Amino acid sequence: MTDGGVTDPGHGHACLAYDDPAVFHAWAVEQVTTGLAAGEQVWLVGPEEADTVARRLASVPGFDAARRRGAVRLFPVGHAYRHDEVVDPERQVQAYVRATTEALAAGHTGLRVLAEATGLVRTVAQRDAFARYEHRIDHWMRHRPMSAVCAYDRRVLGDAAIAELACMHPETNTDVPFRLYAGGGDAVVALGGELDPTAHRLFAAALERADPRPTAGRLVFDATGLRFLDHRSLLHLRDHARRHDAVAVLRTRRPAAARLAELLGLTEVRVEVVR
Amino acid sequence: MRTGAAAGHVGYFHEALLYDSDEELLAVALPFLLGGIEAGERVAVSLDAPHAELVRRALPVGADVTYLPGGDVYARPAAAIRAYREWFASATLGRTQLRMVGELPPALLGATWDAWARYESAINHAYDDFPVWGICAYDRRVVPPHVLADVMRTHPRIARPDGSHEPTGAYTEPATYLAECRPAPLDPLQQTAPLVELTDPTPAHAREAVRAADPGHLPPDGVEDLVMAVSEVVCNATRHGTPPVRLRLWCAADRMVVSVHDLGAGPKDPYAGLLPAGDGTEGGLGLWISHQSCDHVTHHRDADGFTIRLTAGNPHFPA
Repeated sequence: MTDGGVTDPGHGHACLAYDDPAVFHAWAVEQVTTGLAAGEQVWLVGPEEADTVARRLASVPGFDAARRRGAVRLFPVGHAYRHDEVVDPERQVQAYVRATTEALAAGHTGLRVLAEATGLVRTVAQRDAFARYEHRIDHWMRHRPMSAVCAYDRRVLGDAAIAELACMHPETNTDVPFRLYAGGGDAVVALGGELDPTAHRLFAAALERADPRPTAGRLVFDATGLRFLDHRSLLHLRDHARRHDAVAVLRTRRPAAARLAELLGLTEVRVEVVR
Repeated sequence: MRTGAAAGHVGYFHEALLYDSDEELLAVALPFLLGGIEAGERVAVSLDAPHAELVRRALPVGADVTYLPGGDVYARPAAAIRAYREWFASATLGRTQLRMVGELPPALLGATWDAWARYESAINHAYDDFPVWGICAYDRRVVPPHVLADVMRTHPRIARPDGSHEPTGAYTEPATYLAECRPAPLDPLQQTAPLVELTDPTPAHAREAVRAADPGHLPPDGVEDLVMAVSEVVCNATRHGTPPVRLRLWCAADRMVVSVHDLGAGPKDPYAGLLPAGDGTEGGLGLWISHQSCDHVTHHRDADGFTIRLTAGNPHFPA
């Protein structure tokens, strides 16, 4: 996992990249086992036929019974998402909101999803839309009993494409430099990792895709999980705040960020140093 | 209308004063300040406490003079330029001229003089937006010959106790002066084996190396600012330099020193580091931020390439 320098409570939204399908299969076993033990409904969404997946999981204790009573559901990717199209972020979020509600209504403690989404993010346009969706569903997961592991095949997508998606998750097994995800309290967005010159284009894209909106003229960023940030990142925050006629409030443990904002005369960025 | 020797001049009127005694200092400073007061100009003094007191006692009681606390302003050249530019912008509002006599603290004539020589040269350009007549005093009894030579090359004029204001004759335009290679003295630490040596580090790798090497007895803010500066400098060397990029790091009881070398020619902008360049999106600000964040920064060019050295902590090692 990327070290944010601080313990993030995590809200069960992880991006996992794999090179070896056996690794992905092991995650499926883990998700089913953990989910059933917690009384959750478990969705496995992937490119494979349901029967193929079921055969592989047959040895997981209680799997067959759980599947019969609907505690485990297997979906080919096209069922849960609109396959090979550019995902509609809002529609996709609504689908999982409904699924979470239905899982709770059916007596489960929540919804746990393992999605192998490689086929949904092959093109630039698909990735752009999917990254927007990832952030919107992240807000849902932060506040409601849904968790998800989004799995991507590194052999197909490559590191750069996966980084675009991985940085939109609070947790990941990739070495993406920073993470941008749903904040808690009055923070609309939380940031972890390091924002440096090598990451600033990725950060600009992530910020644009997350597109956080101000409340009462303030855009609060919880950057207490950020180990480093440079002036380029501050300028991106300033630009975003300016577009929305707001002040960006950056909560950080790094006094250097406050010195930087002062040095650059960034009146639209207010750095609050928390110890 | 500006009065005195700077009458008719547009922009910064930059003079040196070389004095041998308090009497000589006063012989230039007093008429200079009094002339400004009489003409209704803004008048300021940026001298160390004993000299400021000397001037204060020689001036009429209640004279309208601003005494600037010299010490803090002269912590870092890039910061001094920024602070003075901000102050000049407000202090010259509605005034035809601001007259200021100042002196660098004696400590700056030693191990960090290269940076202050660059400062003295750069301000001919950086302060030229303002109707400022500045006299920079140097005590001939303590100024080493090589510093004196730099003073003559960075000041267009010299003010003398006899009341004259003449060209120094050696003045060199800042773009030319700043582009020259004037090697800074090696920090004695650089003659010892570095604690860390990295080839082609990523900025993240370089930052981690600085954090890991932090001996824990320097102020945390200073180390964090060094981390920022090293990150920017490594990024610049990687993007604009010629590989390999070599980072070396040394620690002493009172300072951390990091040098970053590449085979390229270094920044082309003569004001690199002293003035912010660009709008910040293309890396022009990174070097300026590094100069603001460290207690001493040297640029060194030779046949082997370009080396930038960053010091956090006490940069005044003995000669």
